Amino acid sequence: MTSPHATIQLNQAAAHGRRTQLRPAPLALSRVVQIVSLLLFFSLSCTTADDTTEQQRFFEAKIRPVLVEHCYKCHSADSKKVEGGLLLDTAAGSRAGGESGPAVVPGKPNESLLLDAVRYQSFEMPPNQQLPESIVADLEKWIRDGAHDPRSGEHSITEDEIDIEAGRKFWAFQPPQPSAFLEGQDTSDSARIDALIQRHFKDRGLTANIPADRRTLLRRLHFDLTGLPPTHEEVLAFQQDKSADAIQKVVDDLLSRKTYGQRWARVWLDLSRFAEDQAHIVGNNKSLFYPNAWRYRDWVIDALNNNIPYDQFIRLQLAADLIDSQKETHRAALGFIGLGPKYYRRNDLAVMAEEWEDRVDVVSRGLQGITVACARCHDHKYDPIRTEDYYALAGVFASTEMFNQPGSKKDKKDPENSLHIIREGKAQDLAVMIRGKVDHRGDVVPRGFLQVMFPGERKSFSKGSGRLELAECITDPANPLTARVIVNRIWQQYFGTGLVATPSNFGQLGQRPSHPELLDDLAVRFVQNGWDLKWLHRQIALSSAYQRSSDINAASMETDPTNKWLWRMPRRRLPIEGWRDAVLTAAGRIDVDTGGQSIQPDDPVERRRTVYSAVSRFDLNPLLARFDFPDPNVHAARRVETNTPLQKLFLLNNLFIIKQARYTAELVSGGTNEETVEAQLVTALFAQTLQREPDEVEFETAVQFLKNQPTALPQLAQSLLVSNEFWYLD
Amino acid sequence: MNPWHSRRQMLKTAGTGFGWLAAQSMLQQASASKVSPASTLAPKAKRVIFLMMNGAPSHVDTFDPKPALKKHEGKVPSADFMRRSKAAGYMPSPFRFRPHGDSGVIMSELLPNLGKVADELCVIRSMYTDEPNHEPGLLMMQSGHQQPVRPCLGSWASYGLGTENENLPAFVALSPGRPVVGPQLWSSAFLPAEHQGTAVDTNDLRVEKLLANIRNPELSLESQRVQLDLLQFLNRRHADKRQLEESLESQIRSMEMAYRMQTAAAEAFDVNREPKHIREAYGSTPYANSCLMARRLVERGVRFVQVFYVDRKNKQPWDTHNNNNSRHITLCQDSDKATAALISDLKQRGLLDDTLIIWGGEFGRTPFAQKNKDSNPKNAGRDHHSTGFSMFLAGGGVRGGHMHGNTDEFGMNAVEDRVHVHDLHATILHLLGVDHERLTYRYSGRDFRLTDVHGNVVQKILRG
Repeated sequence: MTSPHATIQLNQAAAHGRRTQLRPAPLALSRVVQIVSLLLFFSLSCTTADDTTEQQRFFEAKIRPVLVEHCYKCHSADSKKVEGGLLLDTAAGSRAGGESGPAVVPGKPNESLLLDAVRYQSFEMPPNQQLPESIVADLEKWIRDGAHDPRSGEHSITEDEIDIEAGRKFWAFQPPQPSAFLEGQDTSDSARIDALIQRHFKDRGLTANIPADRRTLLRRLHFDLTGLPPTHEEVLAFQQDKSADAIQKVVDDLLSRKTYGQRWARVWLDLSRFAEDQAHIVGNNKSLFYPNAWRYRDWVIDALNNNIPYDQFIRLQLAADLIDSQKETHRAALGFIGLGPKYYRRNDLAVMAEEWEDRVDVVSRGLQGITVACARCHDHKYDPIRTEDYYALAGVFASTEMFNQPGSKKDKKDPENSLHIIREGKAQDLAVMIRGKVDHRGDVVPRGFLQVMFPGERKSFSKGSGRLELAECITDPANPLTARVIVNRIWQQYFGTGLVATPSNFGQLGQRPSHPELLDDLAVRFVQNGWDLKWLHRQIALSSAYQRSSDINAASMETDPTNKWLWRMPRRRLPIEGWRDAVLTAAGRIDVDTGGQSIQPDDPVERRRTVYSAVSRFDLNPLLARFDFPDPNVHAARRVETNTPLQKLFLLNNLFIIKQARYTAELVSGGTNEETVEAQLVTALFAQTLQREPDEVEFETAVQFLKNQPTALPQLAQSLLVSNEFWYLD
Repeated sequence: MNPWHSRRQMLKTAGTGFGWLAAQSMLQQASASKVSPASTLAPKAKRVIFLMMNGAPSHVDTFDPKPALKKHEGKVPSADFMRRSKAAGYMPSPFRFRPHGDSGVIMSELLPNLGKVADELCVIRSMYTDEPNHEPGLLMMQSGHQQPVRPCLGSWASYGLGTENENLPAFVALSPGRPVVGPQLWSSAFLPAEHQGTAVDTNDLRVEKLLANIRNPELSLESQRVQLDLLQFLNRRHADKRQLEESLESQIRSMEMAYRMQTAAAEAFDVNREPKHIREAYGSTPYANSCLMARRLVERGVRFVQVFYVDRKNKQPWDTHNNNNSRHITLCQDSDKATAALISDLKQRGLLDDTLIIWGGEFGRTPFAQKNKDSNPKNAGRDHHSTGFSMFLAGGGVRGGHMHGNTDEFGMNAVEDRVHVHDLHATILHLLGVDHERLTYRYSGRDFRLTDVHGNVVQKILRG
């Protein structure tokens, strides 16, 4: 096919496939039934695939929402009183009609009382206000085209409930198990990782790459563990060190450096949508800003460096104020929720409902790898998450207040002198807001956790807001997701892709794990080892999988082009933090000692690490924004990597890089250009920026470049600092 | 091999839809197909210029004459509506209205130049939106949602259709000062960052001030070329040792693209290159310069240009809570002249047919005066008004010389052929050849659309 129609059909096919999954109560269906229904659906649609899909699409887009919004209140099984004996929430009900006769006669708009009523002829429906012409026209078209209607059952679709028990059978809600494959084998820690990866090679005819060379490996370890490059001297020493535990010593050393916490805190700040202000600024009103947000950032860095167990790390961030022994030292941890977005017109219920959604989202996607926010308006369409689950969680945040805690008794609640945290508010349970509308209330749902996560019925939270109980549910060793999700996120940082490629969605629409046994084995042992994050880093960094070369061999590439089976280490571009910090290191200027208040990372004289950058929801620093820093308004599952000319313009022309190039040049020339000959300068520059010596051709070319333009040392430095080799980890 | 085959696979595996494809093909400089992958309909417009009158112009003083206001002058409206407590009595417009052009599109005397291009205009007199406050109103108009963190219209267009000129950004926001709300109005939110609007402050027209990093502060283009050759030599050598690593090749290519962009963008954004008679036709205000720059950009293949009518000191000049009449005289003079010049200029260059112009505010203004401390009727102002207002479209496949819809006899509520902002968005995408229900992006477990679950294409304003 050579026309754009190919895309259209493709898109329809995609939608089609999705809907097939979506058919009534997908989770209640056994796999067999799902497959049968899938086959049925496809075979039915062989002749008229496009028509059916189109009609289905039309129904879902134009008809169902109208019926739900304007008719169900009085004409569904959920109605307090069903008016006129008419049920419009199933196909059968619509066709059978009520006391006055059939409401929908497929193909015959004029015989359909529904149309009569919305035209305000015999009946006047909906009674309060006539529907817009366009909707009436849609209804007419729908009936004329055969009134396609997938709503099965004799009763309301809301009866077609999610079957939680069946939903628990989905892999992500099953507790992780230690590997059965390795049972009885006396395999050391990181060798378990390799055993579970290598078992997939043979059948697929894949050959694992050989180990990376020492310089490559050292650069990889330094950047991954501390976000900084090694020095050339460290590379040389590592190349010399032939001892058996050379790598282990490096890993232990790097994990003990405070730069480790600085590097890994940023991963946490992405997922916790850390920022220091709001997307909205009304006038010059800064009362909703977080000028001391940096104290939360410092807390995260310290917590990681002190290796606070991950379960405690979460408990403190959700509820440090409710744990007597912790509340004095760890109050800043509460910035996790306390620095969340505050929206325009805060006292309005509809606006608060938006804020609660943010809190539910950051907890559910961020800590549990599951999307719950879409259940705000309707039961989750794919996962066993009911609207009640959403409001059970939202109730916790509705019972929690955003709070500026004054530094001392004298200080008022002025944000300038406060810690931006949370505290207990008035405990309240929320009523379901039907279709997310604040003025359309359903049943009140007691505060509690996602029902699918633990066996049995949902237990209600009873202590205050329920935040501490929420934290306990998340960090309960029996929680099937918490450990898997963090293990996967950390894995993703090392390998570019997670074992689950959708790190914040382990649900139906997410990807299935590439190595389920490996994910589970790591998760189980992570918890057994006391939720010890440094332990986890050590496991991964010491695995052979991580230490492989990144070369591409054509045969394996043919078999496994996406490297799903991890036969090679992927080549990775540095994130903006890694690049900028490496540039400052090459320029001999980096300050790794100072934390605290925020910096502007594109300020040419700024020496502090990029993790300390000011993060604005209103106007993100252009350097960060340009280089794929995530939007801090919401939880970021992962960074999207883009390659744009605007990025390159920064690398060519911005004062930041021009200055760093000059600093680097000054460093290698000892401040003066006259005494040092080109050959020495070139060698020193390569060592300073790339931690290696130039090869012969590079050497000749660079020397020639300098000879032709004697003042061009900074230009050569700039070229190296923005080169692909500088940006990429092999 | 069937070229669609690999695209299908990419779509399947990437799961991020059309824009990703567009970006890929942009970087690959593949067979320069004119058919965009996201086009599902024959496009009528290839590019858009959205002229936003920040603060909200008064519809009853511009496009929507309401004689009844005179008859009921001073009477306080009886109906229940938002911000009611601020309402004083009905306030007739002092400006005369008459039909213009062959088509007889009605406009007030504040818009004499637009009157001359009346046969190009499609005036919608039945717009409505959800809330009469600037922040939610602007966000609704730009992104289809009242709270921040949704991609805006230009980002969706860039995502769906990509760019026609790889040496220029696909989406540019021209703003001589910051509008209310600020950068969220050109944010790509959860769409990939390349679809973010490139914000340009048009107060200072020197190219190096307009665009960040467009010139090296020290090197001439020639010297920079020598440096770049060295860099690319290093990159080339690096890539040659790393066979089959496609991403290294695209880094090398985008570096070259950036180098070329310095020349291309410097030329595109430089309104000083326009002849005197053209510059005079637009005028010399910041808004006029934005309009002229917008024309230069769309002429060179920029997909979407968003112009904000603001200035250094005023984030929303059209917010006439007092002195409504005198301020509308001044504001309209500027907007009328430059907007009409833009339309004529595009038409004369044969670009109007496939360039869609949109003009309007985030809502309208009340047909009645608002209660002010200053009781002098000459200084009276009009308050925000969301339930009925006017906008106009021109070019790009809309019916010229057409008036669509009506408000009631006082201009209070849109009553006939009502057009919600979602409908406007659906129509704009339709004109660009994109089905608003199919342009989706999966994020946080659901498929997002510009129009959410709303929006109907306004068929009656499409050119037959």
